[in-house]
Amino acid sequence: MAEQAFAGEHIVGPAEAPDDVLRVEHVAKRFGPITAIRDINLHLRKGEVLALLGDNGAGKSTMIKILSGFHKPDTGTMWLKGEPYLPKSVDDARAHGIDTVFQDLALVDQLSVYHNLFLRRERVHRPIPFLSNRLMKREARKALDEIGINIPSLDVPVARLSGGQRQAIAVARTVSGDADIILLDEPLAAMGAKEGAMILDLIARLKAEGNVSIVMILHNYVHVFAACDRVSLIQDGVIVLDKPTSETSVDELTEIVVEEYRRARLAERSGNGAGAAGASSAAPANPTSPDTAE
Amino acid sequence: MAVTSGAETRPAPGGPAPRRAPAAGGALSIAKKLLTLREGSIIVVTLVTFVYFAITTSNFVTANSFKSLLPYFAPLAIIAAGEVFVMILGEIDLSVGAVYLFTPFMWHVFHHAGLPLYPSIIIALLIAMLIGVVNGIFVAYVGIASFVATLGMLFLLDGLSLVISHSTPVQVPGTKIGAVNNFAQIFGGGTYSELFWAIGIVIVLQLVLSFSRWGIYTVSVGGNRLGAAEAGIRTRQILVRNFVLAALLSGFVGILEVVRTTSATPDPSGSNTILLEVVAAAIIGGTLMTGGDGTIVGALIGALFLGMLTEGLTIKGVSASYLDLYLGIAILIAMTLNVIVRRVRVGSGRG
Repeated sequence: MAEQAFAGEHIVGPAEAPDDVLRVEHVAKRFGPITAIRDINLHLRKGEVLALLGDNGAGKSTMIKILSGFHKPDTGTMWLKGEPYLPKSVDDARAHGIDTVFQDLALVDQLSVYHNLFLRRERVHRPIPFLSNRLMKREARKALDEIGINIPSLDVPVARLSGGQRQAIAVARTVSGDADIILLDEPLAAMGAKEGAMILDLIARLKAEGNVSIVMILHNYVHVFAACDRVSLIQDGVIVLDKPTSETSVDELTEIVVEEYRRARLAERSGNGAGAAGASSAAPANPTSPDTAE
Repeated sequence: MAVTSGAETRPAPGGPAPRRAPAAGGALSIAKKLLTLREGSIIVVTLVTFVYFAITTSNFVTANSFKSLLPYFAPLAIIAAGEVFVMILGEIDLSVGAVYLFTPFMWHVFHHAGLPLYPSIIIALLIAMLIGVVNGIFVAYVGIASFVATLGMLFLLDGLSLVISHSTPVQVPGTKIGAVNNFAQIFGGGTYSELFWAIGIVIVLQLVLSFSRWGIYTVSVGGNRLGAAEAGIRTRQILVRNFVLAALLSGFVGILEVVRTTSATPDPSGSNTILLEVVAAAIIGGTLMTGGDGTIVGALIGALFLGMLTEGLTIKGVSASYLDLYLGIAILIAMTLNVIVRRVRVGSGRG
């Protein structure tokens, strides 16, 4: 079961809308002694762009990795388009139409641009399943052009590309698949202003087309208000705010974050906040092995 | 990882060689193109070694010398092909020599128990694969470092080989001293049998490495294991699979070698020398110990280099006690050249 709320803490309960494509209720996840998320309630409406906010270690990436099939939740339930959803693997989540841009991008430095773009979705010849490099290269060029990303050569290993280009490739890989729910863990982190604007444009375009629903982890509030319909704010592994962007403001979001910081300091000082301190300080950024591999 | 901003590019696995502006000197541009190959440096080093022995000895470039080199380098090339698949993962298999030693005894035991020739070989090879599965499970699921897990397997199998054989050599099924039949002709006994096996296996596995899903997943798991898992690659399955391949090839070479020599000798020191030479061939050939990069063809050329060196030094009349000394020096020189050439190839930094 989800853990107890701390005194003075407001936890957003399960909510729903008639056109939800994804719903998460009371999901919790521990890694050994560390509680990454305690009680997460989320929902994502069709065609919506949801921002997932929160400090480092609040549990955002863990939540994304649970939705993407990389980790299994300890407790809680998830529904995808009305059906119970518990992905067995990243592949399984992808088969359900959920694809992810991970924070570390999941690119292989030694592989070429097009091999990375088609990783796990390789095009092969028949009947001998050798890679169809020519076909992949052609489709990769098309996919990158559609998005508007300029990568001079598709043959170079991605190690040679800039941080922004690598990020763009990771985004292109997910967007060019046939997922209808896309999860993005800090898609703008390594990007310059120009590349960032390009990705935001892309997201706006996907939203306008209305076929995909998007969950994005972001840090920059300007991006949040520019690109997202709704925000969910995670603190210490619980959702403490869930509002349409039109009904909240940078001031309100900032105030919640600062308030939480004060509360944690206070709890620390009075000595009875060991649980709160533990949960907020030490959540792992990236437990390295998937729960769901094989 | 050295990342350069220059225009010089390295071909990605499966990708074509990078195009360059035609240089003024044709030879220079060919040399440059050669060096941009992953196997470039070892090809150059091997050619230089060949020319050196060809000039300084009178009977190095002869059919006889080539024939006596074959049993040395062909087995190494085959086992190294499997080892490269493991090394690209960033792991190492130290049990390849022990599997090479152990498998023929399994063959002998099952044949002795009444199984016909081929079924007993197949069972022996299945047992070799099972050893690979165990190695893979220890590394991928239990989480023991491959160096340690396969070191344990090395001692275990060496010991088992001694126990099963009662420390005495056994006559191998299907062979007779002095008489080479069809079976022996194909499986190691024929003069060029091992060479054909080596070339066939190396070509197939290089194609698999460069042009198949298995190949790029192997590079992915070695290059970025977490990223590979996030992308949906079953990283543990790839680990197990490659350990199985290494064990299978080692066991197979074990059988080729005992058929060639008509008897199986329980000699762990000999098989452990093979292990070290296999790893040397792979590294000299251009495979990184850190994972993410490797070449089967390079390992074959690395094995050829080691074989040529031994053969050439023997022909030059170097005494047996000095042979290892010179071999060691030559390997260090070759590796140094390798690193320098790689630096030229990659552009800058430490390869």
